[in-house]
Amino acid sequence: MQVTTIEGITRVVLDGRLDTDGVNAIELSFTATIVPAGRPAIVDLGAVTFLASLGVRMFISTARAAAGRGNTLVLFKATPPVAEIIDTMGLGEIIAIAGTEDEAIALAKA
Amino acid sequence: MPAKLLRAAAVDGGVLTMVLGNGLGAIAAGRVALAACCDAWGLSPAVVNRIEVIFEEVVANIVRHGFAPGYAQEIHVAAQLADGFAVLRFEDDGVAFDPLAVAPPAPFTSLAEAAVGGLGIPMVRRLASDVVYAAGGCFDGGFRPVNRLTVRVATGAISPAPPS
Repeated sequence: MQVTTIEGITRVVLDGRLDTDGVNAIELSFTATIVPAGRPAIVDLGAVTFLASLGVRMFISTARAAAGRGNTLVLFKATPPVAEIIDTMGLGEIIAIAGTEDEAIALAKA
Repeated sequence: MPAKLLRAAAVDGGVLTMVLGNGLGAIAAGRVALAACCDAWGLSPAVVNRIEVIFEEVVANIVRHGFAPGYAQEIHVAAQLADGFAVLRFEDDGVAFDPLAVAPPAPFTSLAEAAVGGLGIPMVRRLASDVVYAAGGCFDGGFRPVNRLTVRVATGAISPAPPS
């Protein structure tokens, strides 16, 4: 997991598999990176190759906690296998989804 | 250790069979054998992803909710191609449980009210062509009734899974 700040937004790059092992390895640091920062966050999924229900849960929990502080979480650049899970679960109904980083930044600032 | 949780794996006549132990490490251990079989079958990446997600969710559900920690319970998995489908059969000697009898969580409409638990089986049902549960019989030498979940995944051109 890589973390940078861009235009006042936390930018997180995830990679690998968000399966049981993968989520267990990063969930605490993912949430701790995004929620206490007190600013919007965008999450680059371009190198994530697999998404299971634990990963969906992680995104919902973190987005909800961020929203509780008035901040938005945006997911972007999902790979085809990840995009299928996002679409199948209807995650886009409750979390902002963008195709590109520019779109994600625009949504995070909105 | 994953190696200990993959107690047996074999391919015979185009059918992959595995015996997994009681632990979440069984997912990673079994996935390697399953992925190798999917490669040999020449399935598309989209179909393989669906199969891997289903495998992950079903095994995780059994270990988390059907098994008692530390007990020598097992999941028997069989995978094969038949009539345009990849057919995955999961048998376990855990607590009797029909996952299809559980009402799925409500579709996501608001972040504040979205369910964060119980998403795995609904995900399986949306990705699969069909899912069937049955119970009965025992493993050889066993005494507990076996849960049997059969999941079929279409191997042809992928159409989007139905929305939640």
